[in-house]
Amino acid sequence: MEDFILFLVRYLHVICGVMWIGILWYFNFVQIPSMPKIPAEQKPAISKVIAPEALFWFRWGAAGTVLFGLILAQLTPGYTLHEAMTFQIPYIGFGMWMGLIMAFNVWVIIWPAQKIALGMVEADADAKAKAGRRAMLFSRTNTLLSIPMLFAMIAVQNPPGL
Amino acid sequence: MSKILESLPLTIIAGVVLTVIMVIATNQIENANQSGVEKVISDIIK
Repeated sequence: MEDFILFLVRYLHVICGVMWIGILWYFNFVQIPSMPKIPAEQKPAISKVIAPEALFWFRWGAAGTVLFGLILAQLTPGYTLHEAMTFQIPYIGFGMWMGLIMAFNVWVIIWPAQKIALGMVEADADAKAKAGRRAMLFSRTNTLLSIPMLFAMIAVQNPPGL
Repeated sequence: MSKILESLPLTIIAGVVLTVIMVIATNQIENANQSGVEKVISDIIK
């Protein structure tokens, strides 16, 4: 039974992680580069419909990844959550800290900035532009961190032998 | 830093560079954490 619980928590951690990083990469590899090419009259389809829906799954994917990741770190045989976070198992330590920084960026910086940029809260045009740039830069920061974070997460299970 | 983040290719390159730094740091930490006996065995296995 313990094995199944460990499996289930890891499965949910990976599902939430795919949801989160998949939408992060959609924003950075598809949506942001495509916006200048979309005619002005069609832009509301992105800003009013697609982006708010994507942001819902994006932020809750991040929350689920962190929740199941912390449970997984505590349940996994061989190390505890404390040992992982103090780099006694270095790859899981690096991966966890980068994931936590990324989730912090999502909930504390990107989501509040996107609410302003997409007009979900009242703001003038200047504040919207600044919030849009802030959201983009922190979204790019998360894209940067996702590369070593995913390397670290895979390296824990499958050492790269470097 | 914002110049790097404004460019998607530069962001990816920075991510790869950070990955290499992380691998080097991991090797350093693992070497420091190994006891003398573990290090001898690890060196023989390599």
